[in-house]
Amino acid sequence: MRTRLSILTWPKPKGGPHYCICHFCDTVHHAEQIPEGKSVSCVRCGATLFQNRPASLVRVTAFSLTALLLMIVVHAAPFVQMKAGTLSTELTLPSAARALIDEGAPLIGLGVALFTIVTPLILAGGLLYVCAPLMLGHIAPGAKFVTRLMHQTEPWNMIEVFLLGVLVSLLKLGKLAELNFGLGFWAFAALMICMAAAVAAIDKRELWDRLEVAAGK
Amino acid sequence: MKANTKQAPRGMPLGLVSCHVCDKVSPISLQKCPRCGSELHFRKQHSLTRTIALLFAAAVMYVPANLLPVMSIRELGVLTESTIVAGLIQFWQAGSYPIAIVIFTASILIPLFKIVALIWLCAAAKGYVPHSSKMLGKVYWITELLGRWSMVDIFVVAILVTMVQLGTYMRITPGSGALAFASVVVLTMFAAMSFDPKLLWDQLEREETAKNTPLPPTKP
Repeated sequence: MRTRLSILTWPKPKGGPHYCICHFCDTVHHAEQIPEGKSVSCVRCGATLFQNRPASLVRVTAFSLTALLLMIVVHAAPFVQMKAGTLSTELTLPSAARALIDEGAPLIGLGVALFTIVTPLILAGGLLYVCAPLMLGHIAPGAKFVTRLMHQTEPWNMIEVFLLGVLVSLLKLGKLAELNFGLGFWAFAALMICMAAAVAAIDKRELWDRLEVAAGK
Repeated sequence: MKANTKQAPRGMPLGLVSCHVCDKVSPISLQKCPRCGSELHFRKQHSLTRTIALLFAAAVMYVPANLLPVMSIRELGVLTESTIVAGLIQFWQAGSYPIAIVIFTASILIPLFKIVALIWLCAAAKGYVPHSSKMLGKVYWITELLGRWSMVDIFVVAILVTMVQLGTYMRITPGSGALAFASVVVLTMFAAMSFDPKLLWDQLEREETAKNTPLPPTKP
């Protein structure tokens, strides 16, 4: 088994014993220390209780930092340029939300902005803000509040759904006019991968345990 | 650890509660999580009432979402209004079967599945339908996982509205059906979040207790 001793365990909060309750069926378990990469299932319903995600803080920091840098490119560079005769239009991430607001659908426009711009920004920015100092054992001011906020915004991050939407609409438009892919499109695809990797790297137990220990110092 | 499943203790009778935000297990008497400060509850508050109310709203909005046009296309002065189903049929007739299947799954199948699955889950938690809590727990997990993907049609409308602004040649504007459809997606997502799968196991436990309680003998 692959073990990296330095990150195999993290400092446990004082007190104990540490319990863990299944989210699906309310069964109480002893939260035992497990090797990284492994997961534990509930004895009653079989749902995953928790996983020890390897090198979670390092991975989250790296992927969220990359995601933030990619967001700059995504906002600045156009996704696609469409040419039909002498006319040409461009798609950027903010322009999709703005077009809906201008064309008389402000509520959907705000929704699109929320799901594709605001939520990913809160998630990537928040993860970097919380996890980077935590790697060194420090707690950033307001880190617990930011972590709670991320927990609430996570289901509303729809970056990958938007990418599917881009693909579907391009197939629709491809028959109509000439399309040129821009840097923004590739940056957005990379952003989607980074966001998914950052979220998948979060080890919720380690994150909160470390926050608790760092706050108690 | 691998004790008899039937005897594995549950949190509520022990007075132990897992924080909804940070998962720390604390006694309910603390009222607030000592780690993150969130309020502690055994079950999500008013879970069934909220889920049913949100589902009802979603089911009502599902009608205009499918009947009203999600976008209008003005091509050379001719106005065509397109509903979700019409867009789907267009893809199918054009021979783009993979996209037609994607749109059908995301826009029609998933919202319907979510509404039906959550009604089933609520009925099961109340004990109106026989159920396997393990299986329904998985159904709930899938419902939560799929929720966001229905938004894809709204994003398609947003992108088409942005890109097809070709003066008098062709223009696409959003229709009122789009708002109704987006609200169905958001309402069903909130409904899924309000549901507490622990209620399914509570109901199962009630049924088992009732079955195992010996009834007093009848006297002549």
